[in-house]
Amino acid sequence: MNHCVPDFEMDDDYSILSSSTLNRPRKSPVPEDEIMELLWQNGQLVMQSQNQRSFKKSPPSKHQDGDQSASKEIRPSHHHHQQQQTVTDNLFMQEDEMASWLHYPFNDANFDNDFCADILYPSAPCVTSIATTTASPPVRPIEQPVEPRHLPVPASASAVASSSRPPIPPVRRTELESSRIPNFAHFSRHKVRTEPSGPSNSKSVVRELTVVDSCDTPAVVPESRGFRAMPSISNTEGASGGNNNNACGTIAIGAAAVAASTHSAGVSIGAGASSRENLATCELTVTSSPGCSSASAEPAAPKVAAEDRKRKDREAAGDAECRSEDAEFESPNTKKQSRGSTSTKRSRAAEVHNLSERRRRDRINEKMRALQELIPRCNKSDKASMLDEAIEYLKSLQLQVQMMSMGCGMVPMMFPGVQQFMPPMGMGMGMGMGMGMGMGMGVDMGMSRPMMPFPNVLAGPSLPTAAAAAHLGPRFPMPAFHMPPPAPDPSRIQPNQPDAMLGSLGLQTPNQPWMSGFADPYQQYLGLHQMQLPLPQNQATGQPSSSKPSTSKDAENLENHPPGT
Amino acid sequence: MSSRRSSQSGVSRISDDQIIELVSKLRQLLPEIRNRRSDKVSASKVLQETCNYIRNLHKEVDDLSERLSQLLSTIDADSAEAAIIRSLIM
Repeated sequence: MNHCVPDFEMDDDYSILSSSTLNRPRKSPVPEDEIMELLWQNGQLVMQSQNQRSFKKSPPSKHQDGDQSASKEIRPSHHHHQQQQTVTDNLFMQEDEMASWLHYPFNDANFDNDFCADILYPSAPCVTSIATTTASPPVRPIEQPVEPRHLPVPASASAVASSSRPPIPPVRRTELESSRIPNFAHFSRHKVRTEPSGPSNSKSVVRELTVVDSCDTPAVVPESRGFRAMPSISNTEGASGGNNNNACGTIAIGAAAVAASTHSAGVSIGAGASSRENLATCELTVTSSPGCSSASAEPAAPKVAAEDRKRKDREAAGDAECRSEDAEFESPNTKKQSRGSTSTKRSRAAEVHNLSERRRRDRINEKMRALQELIPRCNKSDKASMLDEAIEYLKSLQLQVQMMSMGCGMVPMMFPGVQQFMPPMGMGMGMGMGMGMGMGMGVDMGMSRPMMPFPNVLAGPSLPTAAAAAHLGPRFPMPAFHMPPPAPDPSRIQPNQPDAMLGSLGLQTPNQPWMSGFADPYQQYLGLHQMQLPLPQNQATGQPSSSKPSTSKDAENLENHPPGT
Repeated sequence: MSSRRSSQSGVSRISDDQIIELVSKLRQLLPEIRNRRSDKVSASKVLQETCNYIRNLHKEVDDLSERLSQLLSTIDADSAEAAIIRSLIM
């Protein structure tokens, strides 16, 4: 997953990433066998052979491995295989370099145009296929994108190139971007040209997304949409791969996403979720992008640049709120500076506040939509009920996972004695889970009760040590036949499938409040276990008896049980 | 500003509290956020964490199902355990 960022190949003498240097077409022919790659190291281009010279983070002025002739950005596509390896390493470095870029003062905006013109359009290795491949995995879990990345390295390059081509929008954006974050723009362009490796794929995807979105407006919104995919990508990447992925995600984001502020929020959030480190890197790009995006909302590109810097300084803030706050700060400040009138300032501040508020709301709505998609059979339209359902679903999911893991642990521990109880137990569990899963809120009542005792019981399995594992066996069937020796009890439990588990759980013994302690059930189990053999017969015979309505509450069972014992 | 807000979102105001409460409930369920200071977590973050958590749980369920089916193959199909496992896998 490190392939997010393609290697930069620059001429050897590029000491600093500067537009001029980027502009320069790679002239020196690079021997096919050996491709020198210019990597961004700490914002500095470093020459590196594809065979992976050591990467050194050198200060901007240093050239590493200098001597080789400048590698050609386009050439790499041919040698992507080698490159990929190096790319991976490069990416790592580039990750850090990204940070340095952020701080890098951007240079003329024109650079971007030229840059793009030269590189984007002419370069066109044929990578169209990648566009599709990259487009597909965007939301996919990590593993998938990795494959496509590696395979069509050349394809990706072409795809990237092609993606960059279509557009004037991209050029336009880059102009904007360049004004704000020139480094990124260059970077993205550069990547397009050079690296078809995996990371570039994601980036190309991202860029495509952004490009598409940007068509609408240079504002943040469209980009944010494009970015939505990105965050998922980066999130998934981060989750799966680790730093590399993050680097890719972040770099891609930074490169493509200049204007997406909202995404940065999503990205940072996602990144944070996946791993802290990702978050750190994401934040770098995110903070800069939000600044840009918010700035874009406002006029004055130069101000944006300045704000960018400020934002970069504030990189630490990873939260969406922080970002929105920053944006708020930035915009009002700029506005104030420009206007100079207090009244306008206030109104502007309010406006900005509204904007940020709206953004925040949009983010929340988006997340709610995503949540809604995850929840099966969720047809609620209002937030509150949807959240309610989400809560229930989450609980049931947790329960299910617990039961399944318990089952996994239990199976090896199955005791012959409990066999007879199993089916009913299984049924009960299945029913319980089915109910929990998605039968709807109507049945929730039955389930909600179970929730209470269950955690207690289920917590047991989670405790487990080797010794506990032994308890698991009896315990699992336990709920079913936990009932104390009285024959009717077990039978009573069985019919109440949804409650079977619960009922059994609760029905330890008439005398004991089953909820009271965990240790009790254990003791009971152990004790009961002895009695298991005789019990099954009892239960088998006694099944038909009291069949409590499954919808009965646990309390009923509990109450009935003690008296009825 | 507050007046403006209320005028703009009169209805949502009411449900805002519900949402806040639900979000806090959700937060309790999430393992990660629960351990942190919960007063500073934003709704969007909670939602995001929830989505991620649900996805993780889905994945876990799949893994467990796979494991259970593997286990199922190792034991005789008529046993009670098999029945249980089948029910678990659903």
